[in-house]
Amino acid sequence: MTRILVPLAILEGESVSGGLASLLEPMDVTVLGYHVLPEQTPPDQARLQYEERATAALEDLAAEFGAEEGTADYRLVFTHDEEQTFDRIAAETDADVYAIPGATGPVDRLLVALTGDVAVDRIVSLVAELVGDRPIGATLFLATNDETRGREVLETAAETLIDRGIDVNTELAVDEPPLEALVDAAVDHDAIVMGEQAPSLRTLVFGEEAERVAAESVGPVLVVRRLEDEQTDDGA
Amino acid sequence: MGTDRPSATGTNIEGETPQTEPAIDTDEATLTDDAELERTLGLTGGLAIGIGTMIGAGIFVFPGLAAGRAGPAAAASFAIGAVVALLVALPASELATAMPKSGGGYYFISRGLGTLAGAVVGLSLWFGLVFATAFYLVGFGYYAVDTLAELGIAVGEGLVIPIAVLFGAGFTVLNVTGTENAAKLQNGIVALLLSILVAFLGYGGLDAVGLVGDQAAPEQFAPFGAMPVFTTAALVFTSYLGFAQVATVAGEIKDPGRNLPLAMVGSVVIVGVLYVVTIFVATSAFGGERLAELGETAMVEVGRHYLGTAGAVAIVFGGLLATMSSANASVLSTSRSIYAVSRDALLPQRASRINLRYGTPHVALGMAGGPILVLTATGRVELLAEVASFLHLLMYGLICVALIALRRDEPEWYDPDFRVPGYPLVPALGAICSFALILFMQPTSQLVGVAIMLVTAGWYLYYARDVDLKGKL
Repeated sequence: MTRILVPLAILEGESVSGGLASLLEPMDVTVLGYHVLPEQTPPDQARLQYEERATAALEDLAAEFGAEEGTADYRLVFTHDEEQTFDRIAAETDADVYAIPGATGPVDRLLVALTGDVAVDRIVSLVAELVGDRPIGATLFLATNDETRGREVLETAAETLIDRGIDVNTELAVDEPPLEALVDAAVDHDAIVMGEQAPSLRTLVFGEEAERVAAESVGPVLVVRRLEDEQTDDGA
Repeated sequence: MGTDRPSATGTNIEGETPQTEPAIDTDEATLTDDAELERTLGLTGGLAIGIGTMIGAGIFVFPGLAAGRAGPAAAASFAIGAVVALLVALPASELATAMPKSGGGYYFISRGLGTLAGAVVGLSLWFGLVFATAFYLVGFGYYAVDTLAELGIAVGEGLVIPIAVLFGAGFTVLNVTGTENAAKLQNGIVALLLSILVAFLGYGGLDAVGLVGDQAAPEQFAPFGAMPVFTTAALVFTSYLGFAQVATVAGEIKDPGRNLPLAMVGSVVIVGVLYVVTIFVATSAFGGERLAELGETAMVEVGRHYLGTAGAVAIVFGGLLATMSSANASVLSTSRSIYAVSRDALLPQRASRINLRYGTPHVALGMAGGPILVLTATGRVELLAEVASFLHLLMYGLICVALIALRRDEPEWYDPDFRVPGYPLVPALGAICSFALILFMQPTSQLVGVAIMLVTAGWYLYYARDVDLKGKL
């Protein structure tokens, strides 16, 4: 089963909405409680002071994701650099997907963005596994400059999901700025599934695309991690 | 690593016990029972701490003072300092890879030689760093005044101390309230400094050996004989204190088995070479006497001599950056060393509380900043430098002794990734040289140093006599 990493700035009061917890219920979940320290503070010193409180909060959160059924666990990390921590824990737990929590009620419909650097079939198989036989619909979204090719990609992906009995819509944005189109499409959806972006000058300047989508759309975002050898794929 | 490690026992006068917990050190994190501590500093970060701490003093403050005392042979004094530092950096590297924990030298000595030695070193290191920081700040004050002078605002040397105190207070406040990660800035500053220096020393060096520019007037190499070479070595040893600061962040260094030795030994070698070349270039420009007259900011005139106004401005700018980065890096190390002793119940554990609003150790930073300001206000550059060296050399000597003690009867947990070459000769020489260098200091400095040792030993007997740390991880 696919493991999903849920990083939470645990001592800043970050938490998960009920909607996300039930969305992720069928999956294996690792809650990553992290606390970022300024460089003046040795991580060990923070551990002495905060460990108990953080552990108590994490135990509760892991229980929400099904720790008792054995499908969820947690890790607590004190760090100076959260990105490095995410990467390490994701690699150690074999988590292919991470979640940006966000706020949402019960999830009825997912927006699935196929634009980007992650292979479409990995995103589609995550959605199939996530939805299972629950009454959750999916809108497949693709932003591209090549309309014909884009339509093909969307249809192939939609077929796979329809075969599994999932209610699927498709939405193609041609010659539009991809990020803005995605955020516009997110209206009427409760959560977003997307692929991780390869680092580029854009991400360096504006921050990670998934982060910006999460900030704009308020709801949770599930990000399928890019594999080491996954080269830039135009997705269309 | 085994799970049957003995843990520290005993309580201090307030009934606090050392807070130690079994932990597994991997290359990327330290794993305790319930939490993980990410290692986030790479080799570059480690080198930046080492070089950033050291370079300010050796290049920008000492050349004038040292050349005044020993003439061109001051280059030999710096070389002696580098050799002593290397002899200690190697054993310190072995201990750091065996015990990659916050606290550095204090941790090795308390575990290798017992609580009394540990308490004296740990508390002395706190004061040693305070003296060193005050010294860097006074250096900073001189450069600030010179910067104003280059800008055409002559304020006179009367403002050196007020500026130094003001910035010392500023650093302390910034460290308590600043949550921006300045590590990347520090790396950038060190890289910039190294480029300025390599360019300047490259040109100056060519000029000095007579390949470009005018022939310099030759001066006798050691005009005052051999003795001042050694006393000057004792004075300028403050320029080599930084490598041990790398060990104070050992708990945060990635792949400690590789990066700790490289960062410690590498930073000593790099700054050692730069120092020797700097003195050579400086004494080729002016005679020792002239350099002594120019005092703390003699390098500015050396810059002007070789490259005109541009050279002077480059050195003034470099001096400001370097003394600032030294002071800042030392404040950070000070709060880590206070944390290390208070975790082991040798100081009240309140000292390592973290501020809820900023996430910074405000008590420890205050315990560093307060004394720093008082000492900066004295403005006694040479005394500050020598006492700082005294207290560090004490630790260095004992690090070597601790290594020998641990090696003679290796505990089960002792499994360093790096083993010192030339054992037992290197640590033995390291210990002898460290203690010997203390003997070449001015009597006042020795007196202050011994007084601080006695006070710390007294504190141990009063406060934490029952705490047992020897061999306990």
